[in-house]
Amino acid sequence: MKAVVDLSFSVGSGEVYGLLGPNGAGKTTTLRVLATLLAPDSGAATVAGHDLVKDSEGLRAAIGVVNGGMGLYDRLTGREILHYFGGLYGMRPAAVEKRIEALDDLLQLGDTLSRRAGGFSTGMKQKIVIARAVLHDPPVIYFDEATSGLDVVARRAVIDFVKAYPSAGRAVIYSTHVMSEVEELCGRACIIYRGRKIADGTIAELSAQGEGKGLEEAFFRLVSRYDLANGAAA
Amino acid sequence: MRPGIVARLARKEIVSTLRDTRAIISNLLIPLLLVPVMMLGLPLLLGGLLEREQVTTTAVGAVGLTNMPADLQAAFTAANLDLRSVTDATKAVQDGTVEVAIVVPDGFGSAIAAGGNAAIELVTKVGNMKSELSASKVQQAVSSYQRGVVGQRLEAAGLNAAVLTPVTITTVDASSQAERTSGQLSWLIPFFIAIWTLTGGQMTAVDATAGEKERGTLEVLLVAPVRRAEVVAGKFIATMLFGLSAASMAIIGFLVGSLVMQNVFVPRLGEQAEAIVGVMGGGLSVSFVAILLLLVSALLLAGFVSALLLGVGMFARSFKEAQSYIAPLSFVFVLPAVALQFKDLIGLSDAVYYVPVFNVLVLMDNVVRGTFTGDEVLITWAVMAVACLLLLRFALANFKRESVIFRN
Repeated sequence: MKAVVDLSFSVGSGEVYGLLGPNGAGKTTTLRVLATLLAPDSGAATVAGHDLVKDSEGLRAAIGVVNGGMGLYDRLTGREILHYFGGLYGMRPAAVEKRIEALDDLLQLGDTLSRRAGGFSTGMKQKIVIARAVLHDPPVIYFDEATSGLDVVARRAVIDFVKAYPSAGRAVIYSTHVMSEVEELCGRACIIYRGRKIADGTIAELSAQGEGKGLEEAFFRLVSRYDLANGAAA
Repeated sequence: MRPGIVARLARKEIVSTLRDTRAIISNLLIPLLLVPVMMLGLPLLLGGLLEREQVTTTAVGAVGLTNMPADLQAAFTAANLDLRSVTDATKAVQDGTVEVAIVVPDGFGSAIAAGGNAAIELVTKVGNMKSELSASKVQQAVSSYQRGVVGQRLEAAGLNAAVLTPVTITTVDASSQAERTSGQLSWLIPFFIAIWTLTGGQMTAVDATAGEKERGTLEVLLVAPVRRAEVVAGKFIATMLFGLSAASMAIIGFLVGSLVMQNVFVPRLGEQAEAIVGVMGGGLSVSFVAILLLLVSALLLAGFVSALLLGVGMFARSFKEAQSYIAPLSFVFVLPAVALQFKDLIGLSDAVYYVPVFNVLVLMDNVVRGTFTGDEVLITWAVMAVACLLLLRFALANFKRESVIFRN
């Protein structure tokens, strides 16, 4: 059984691109392949100019990943965690410290920097997870169900960060099953279902398939159409 | 492989373990304190009990007390035995009135006086330590009386007591200085190194593998531009370091225990404690070369253990699952280490030096005893190095397998 089949999309500079689909559709697998954690059986991908297979190390240096299940090292402080990962990305301690200052302003890291992560609230954890992902200022960042399990305040902080992050030379791939987040954040998106891309386009184009009832209605119609065509129950 | 990245990965694991109070207690404090307590506490407790039993007056039930000759009664008194007349010896021992009892038949004294033989029945509880110790004191008293009777009879027959021992045996100890001073429990050094290498490295290894999976930190680590071999190397170094630290603490505890025994207890308790020190290897003096050989051997053992722990830990889904895999592994190390004390009895062939783990344990025991050969050292080290590399490949393979990385 294949988790993802015949999937292709492109994301441009300054864009937030959505991967929309139910749980188990293949979104996480797609991002894991694009992060070089899983090897594809076939196909090709280039991220920030780095070939997925030929330059996996260079590709990893050019991306940041945030997901809902990512944890932190309980016995290290926020600052120590950032210095640890900064070192792994080849950053010198002074450069890491300078970047921490900038991220402190942006994410309001506050005392998460001096406290050990074992005592963090979910919101504090998510701040350090995001800071860690963008510490090396990657041109591409993946968000995979990044707001799952967060309270409303922490969720809003993540969404605001995603809105602010893209600029010239930066791109975001935002994977979620929450339609409202895609509508709010993404310019374009593709709908993944049963490991296949069943639709893509701008949010307006996708929503139009819901005949005025929004993206969620469009999603269900597309999924039903796919199931009917392929003889599977929805 | 970039040394800077490996060092960074190792340092993080080291800091993380050092901040874990449980790890510090179990890796460093317990081996440091437990070993001397075991060394000093148990023998001294047993020694003290035995000594007290010898000095304390023990009540002995006697059926037919009036049948005992005065000399025999005097021998009992001299052995700190207090004879008390009872009517039923078995019942007196069973109900705990006395620990031990004797039955002296009618005509005992006249039979001995007439140059004949007579029997005394000793009633004791076999398997009851206190009862058996009392029985031993009774046997000593009877033996003492018997020697006196035999001496008198020989004298009456115009014979010297030496006639009973026409052949004597003198034992000459051919063991080397190192063998003599290493004591009967010299195997404890490789035993401690094996056990504490495993115990000491366990927490770091599990935290760095299954723990990373469970916390959700493994994925982000592998998304960083580090190579899997570097990740394994960093975690391997940290695990090995804690394994070696725990083993070193156990050895320091062993040496401290020996020193305390030699300098504090021997002057106070005299011969008895000196004998215990000998058995425990308290007079151990290991040469500089031997220390070097032990260090390299311990390093190889720690490398083997650490690579194994990382491979197994990585395969597990969670901290708990990893611990349940690792627990049975301790038998792989405990059993051969315990078997070392019967090494001479078993008669090991040279093939043992080709068996990983057991070979290094045997070699370390030989080094402590000063009976090793160059071939044994080379074969053992080569086999252990190859085994260690194979296990590192196993650990690395697990860090590369998608089905293992995302097995949670």
